[in-house]
Amino acid sequence: MDANNPILLMAGTQEHDLTRLDEYRAVGGYKALERARALEPQAVMDEISAATLRGRGGAGFPMGRKASLLAKGTGKPTYLVINADESEPGAFKDRDVLRMTPHRLIEGCLITAHGIGSKSVFIYIRGEYAHEFDVMRDALEDARTAGLLGGVTIVLHRGAGAYICGEETALLESLEGQRGQPRPRPPFPPVNGLYGAPTQINNVSTIALVPKIIELGAAEFSKIGVPSAPGTAVFSLSGNVAEPGNYERQLGTTLRELIYDVAGGIAGGRELKAVIPGGSSVPVLTPAEIDTPMDYDSIQAAGSFFGSAAIIVVDDRCCMVQLALRAEQFYMHESCGKCTPCRVGTRWLVQLLTKIEEGRGDRSDLDLLEGVCDRMLGKSLCALGDFAVYPVASYLEKYRGEFEAHVDGHGCPFGGASSIEGTFAPSDQHAPNLAETVHA
Amino acid sequence: MPDLVSLTVDDRVVQVPSNTGLVEAALAAGVEIPVFCYEPRLGAPIGACRMCLVEIEGIPKLQAGCTLTAIDGMVVRTAATSAKAADGQESTLEFILVNHPLDCPVCDKGGECPLQDLTFRYGPGRTRMTFPKVTFDKPIPVSPLIALDRERCILCYRCTRFSEEVAEDGLLIARNRGARSEIATFEDEPYRSVFSGNVIELCPVGALTSSMYRFDARPWEIQNVPTVCTGCATGCNVTATIREGKVKRILSRNHAEIDRGWLCDKGRFTYPHLLARDRITAPLQRGPKGLKEVSWDEALDAAEEMLREAEGAIVTALSGSETTEIAYALGRLLRGGVGAHSAVLPEATSDALEAFRLPLSAIAEAELVVVVGDDPVVERAPIVDLWLKEARRRGAEVVACSPTGTVQVAPGGSAAFCQGISAAGNELGQRLRNADRAVLVWSGPGGGGGARIAELAHELGFEEKPGCGAFHLPVTPNGRAVAAAWSASADADETRPETISVLVVSGEDAAADPGVRALAEQAERVIVVTMFHELVGGWADLILPATGALERDGTTMNLEGRLQRLRRAVAPPCPDELAWISKLAARFDVEISPHASAVFAELSEHLFQDLSMDEIGLRAALPSRTAYEAPAPAAQPASVPEHGATELRLQRYRALISGPAVERVRELEFQRPEREVEISAVDARQRGISSGDPVLVRSNGTSIELRARVNRRLVEGIARVAEEHAADLHAVVEVVKA
Amino acid sequence: MTQIYERIQELRRKYPQSRSAVMDALRLAQTEHGGWLPPEALREVADALDVTPAYCHSIASFYDMYHLEPVGKHMVEVCTNLSCALAGAQAVLDAFAHELGVRPGETTDDGEMTLRAIECAGGCGRAPVVVVDHVYHEPLRPEDVPGLLQELRGRE
Ligand SMILES: Cc1cc2nc3c(=O)[nH]c(=O)nc-3n(C[C@H](O)[C@H](O)[C@H](O)COP(=O)(O)O)c2cc1C
Ligand code: SF4
Ligand code: FES
Repeated sequence: MDANNPILLMAGTQEHDLTRLDEYRAVGGYKALERARALEPQAVMDEISAATLRGRGGAGFPMGRKASLLAKGTGKPTYLVINADESEPGAFKDRDVLRMTPHRLIEGCLITAHGIGSKSVFIYIRGEYAHEFDVMRDALEDARTAGLLGGVTIVLHRGAGAYICGEETALLESLEGQRGQPRPRPPFPPVNGLYGAPTQINNVSTIALVPKIIELGAAEFSKIGVPSAPGTAVFSLSGNVAEPGNYERQLGTTLRELIYDVAGGIAGGRELKAVIPGGSSVPVLTPAEIDTPMDYDSIQAAGSFFGSAAIIVVDDRCCMVQLALRAEQFYMHESCGKCTPCRVGTRWLVQLLTKIEEGRGDRSDLDLLEGVCDRMLGKSLCALGDFAVYPVASYLEKYRGEFEAHVDGHGCPFGGASSIEGTFAPSDQHAPNLAETVHA
Repeated sequence: MPDLVSLTVDDRVVQVPSNTGLVEAALAAGVEIPVFCYEPRLGAPIGACRMCLVEIEGIPKLQAGCTLTAIDGMVVRTAATSAKAADGQESTLEFILVNHPLDCPVCDKGGECPLQDLTFRYGPGRTRMTFPKVTFDKPIPVSPLIALDRERCILCYRCTRFSEEVAEDGLLIARNRGARSEIATFEDEPYRSVFSGNVIELCPVGALTSSMYRFDARPWEIQNVPTVCTGCATGCNVTATIREGKVKRILSRNHAEIDRGWLCDKGRFTYPHLLARDRITAPLQRGPKGLKEVSWDEALDAAEEMLREAEGAIVTALSGSETTEIAYALGRLLRGGVGAHSAVLPEATSDALEAFRLPLSAIAEAELVVVVGDDPVVERAPIVDLWLKEARRRGAEVVACSPTGTVQVAPGGSAAFCQGISAAGNELGQRLRNADRAVLVWSGPGGGGGARIAELAHELGFEEKPGCGAFHLPVTPNGRAVAAAWSASADADETRPETISVLVVSGEDAAADPGVRALAEQAERVIVVTMFHELVGGWADLILPATGALERDGTTMNLEGRLQRLRRAVAPPCPDELAWISKLAARFDVEISPHASAVFAELSEHLFQDLSMDEIGLRAALPSRTAYEAPAPAAQPASVPEHGATELRLQRYRALISGPAVERVRELEFQRPEREVEISAVDARQRGISSGDPVLVRSNGTSIELRARVNRRLVEGIARVAEEHAADLHAVVEVVKA
Repeated sequence: MTQIYERIQELRRKYPQSRSAVMDALRLAQTEHGGWLPPEALREVADALDVTPAYCHSIASFYDMYHLEPVGKHMVEVCTNLSCALAGAQAVLDAFAHELGVRPGETTDDGEMTLRAIECAGGCGRAPVVVVDHVYHEPLRPEDVPGLLQELRGRE
């Protein structure tokens, strides 16, 4: 392992076909499982806690601490649920884990199941990942045939196209065969989760790191990354970079390094305009802020979130009002419709942004835009309502001049030449008039 | 005594039992947390509307108060004392009003609308929304009973949660996602559930309204009369809304032990039968040219003459839907006045059950419930079905032993099945003996009016256990008190006359009974008291107009044995029964008051330990248990009819949504039982029949065409048909593809 | 129909509670019914799962990958979310629309192809992403469109 550039999650994927059980074993696969099964469950969880493995799904909550909240002695089974719904715009890291190193995820599931005393694991895979589902299914079959499951059932569940099902309680609802709408918390899943039983929920990349923690030991693992967030993350770089793709790097690598050194800088040698560091749901950063290290605490101090480590890079050809509108169309389309502020607010924001982009707005509309964001923020049932606000509110705050130019000049200052000009959003084909007026 | 927790709401300290919801805890502190979606009867809170946002000390984000429970030391601030909470509430209201039309003046909910009230109290008072609202086609029917105005819907999901989690019918749903979400039924088929009307009351805005009530009355021009439903023996507490002397709607009046605020559609929507076109409002007498209207004096003369000439050779058939007072007064007149002691009484609930009395709400708290009997519970006492569902949701085991049950028992087999349970070594019996909270329910004919279930309860030792009880679900609403009142009205034994000179038929149920019809064939003359012409026009000699329950004062006893008060909501279009009974009785020197309260005072002495009508109150209490008295032993069960291999046994059941009153309400037509025959999957396969196929059901020369429905739960060898479609079919039928 | 009934019984056994199988069951029924869910498909699923058709409809209408209107034999889906948009997704969508003569959300008159815009498909690193009959093509450029369509039409 290269000390400067440790690869944990994707280790061996360059050289081997790790979808094959024999090759995964050849790189030491399932040894950690063997070692973990020789340990008391609590010892396994202690190791994970000591490694301060923070959730890679977005919120960065320490996995060990979450497991310590699991209700004991309920007389119900304890479930482990893996969140493989990955639908955050810009994110595609879990997909690579699923399709390139499925056994690492299975091994992580089995170690965790041993640690928390669970006999059934559910992996919720987004419906679009058909190929990844097949890879996982085959790998699981191989693991089963090889007698690795040790009495644990792993069920692969397929989603069917709903971003909200990445939210953990919506995911549970969906897994129970309901509409994927979030539940109020409390009660939290560790107490009252799947089928009302204590449930541990983690992201694919979180769980797939578990075998490495057992293999290296918490002490070694903690040397990687930053003390508040040890280890590596797979950073998904997309947008206007020269070499987009997934890159596993230590936590704490700066955005500048990631964009310029890792992903080859801005495509076509253009100017950097904006960076969305954690998937479309987090506040935008300006070029002046790209020396921020990418770890949970640093990025939060800079006013954004680590999110799913999906870095969307935007060059100077893009109109920020259009970008905000396109992002908001996504949230309007994905709002589950359960709570009022999110269901109504997203549509209202789309209407306002459309008006501004088309040059029909005035300065008061910018205030209203801000006002509607304020009214939504912190009021909805789940975080989607906030995610829907961050892009709009932060673009408006940091690129206000561009918004003002739209209203003052009665039209888009890019004059039809913005890089995402006229992008058609799926919400329009589902209900063509929804944002505008009527549906019957 | 539950643990108490102490919390502070808007600077007021209050103590409540732990596990109290925050909305209730705040109320205990005198603080209202406004809500839309919160409705504890619909299951766990969903936190959807965000009206109830409050600030909790130590939590940075506003919280939906409705989803929290009171915790010791919690400090809560509502809009009254927190600017942040106030902003939260204002935000929610602004968002709700973004799409809600401001058509309050023409909305049925106007004046009694939670949204209107809360907007007035907490609202921003103006909208910054300048875009067109989401609009929809004007109100669409979700059924002939209910209109849906999607524009007004605030998506609180109360109605769909009711359908999914209370009625468990799964018919009213939310479809689509996000801003396109809307309430709907499958393929716009009607919402066909006997509980459908409850969603009208649950809707906090004017989105779901009663099609019968629409635009009919404004809340300030109405009176509300508290009374009791007599659609079945449950005795749900209701309020009748009256305008200009007419019933405009029926609402629930939530008796927590009986109905929990739910009503079935029979109770809620049959009131228009009072204004049926064929309602009899004046007496009719048979002359040479058939029936003709006569004056009351002539009618009473005729009745007096018939009764006198009969010299006691009189049989009286009672329906079980009379008030206790009418049954008693009739008894005083006929038994006391002309010695007519012979009666055909409605199926009476066995007194032996009094030792196992419980409120219906105890079903929800039970750990184990065993239901036996041929009839679906929902057809006999629909609200009991809701209690059973709630019990199941709360984790109770509900064992249904019936032709379609989890334990399949062929029709007529229930009594033997009960004996089996009490036999030593029976596994179910053992669990019932061990349970602290177990309930038995008898739902079907036979069984001695619950006597068999009482015997079982006795053998299981239920009288020692206050949490265990037993219920019988009778077919008539007041059969038990009617029989008791009749029996208390005179002190003489019944003697069946050899020949019947006069048959007195009281009420529609008796008139529709085939046994009573057979007696009418034998009787020389027939006097019928009824509301409608059609049923008896062909065979009655004298018809006296009857009143409906909403037109009556008096008492009625429900299936728990709880005596409740009927209050006259509207004046009948004719003198009521007590008025003419009193007059007619006077001609035979029997003194009986025309006033229900006086009649009650008299009968109460015999039956209810001098209880006074006022003591019954608005929400009647349940009498305590009495000592167990063994009921009469079971009659030999009618032998199961023999049938060949290709034949099926016919099982008839009386559908809830049926009967003369229901038949007179056009809007209820779609709720009546389908013209279908249910058969098991095995029997269907043998005959090459699939669901939906037209089939002939035949016996002894009668042949009826019905649609087949394959019921995977039904026992083999049975053909199940609703009474009203079974016509003259015999007990054994053939079912063949048409 | 009975065949689908039996297969759904199998799906039920996968889960501790059978309702969890509704998504799998709807997917199965959709495949059996030529890519969409007509009312009778919802009825079949409901029957096999002991739920109501209305319930199935409420589920199916929540998720994007169930179709309640007829679709073409082939489904062409173009991601137009941020990363793909920045990489020129609109030109790809336009190319398809032009070649097929339909707008996004529509099906060609011959019932061969349905064109849809979709939200982020999770291929942002190889944008623009086009998903054809559940198979990812990434990246796909406007100039690749005619060839792809030709290949599709030739396919059985
Ligand atoms: C709208 C929304 C979408 C989310 N999508 C995902 C997702 O696709 N994948 C994921 O792992 N977590 C997602 N999350 C976060 C999950 O709710 C949850 O925090 C996470 O799965 C926990 O796993 P971790 O602790 O391992 O990160 C989402 C959250 C929200 C509010
Ligand atoms: S129709 Fe009424 S009860 Fe149903 S969701 Fe809308 S507002 Fe709520
Ligand atoms: S009343 Fe609490 S969210 Fe609706």
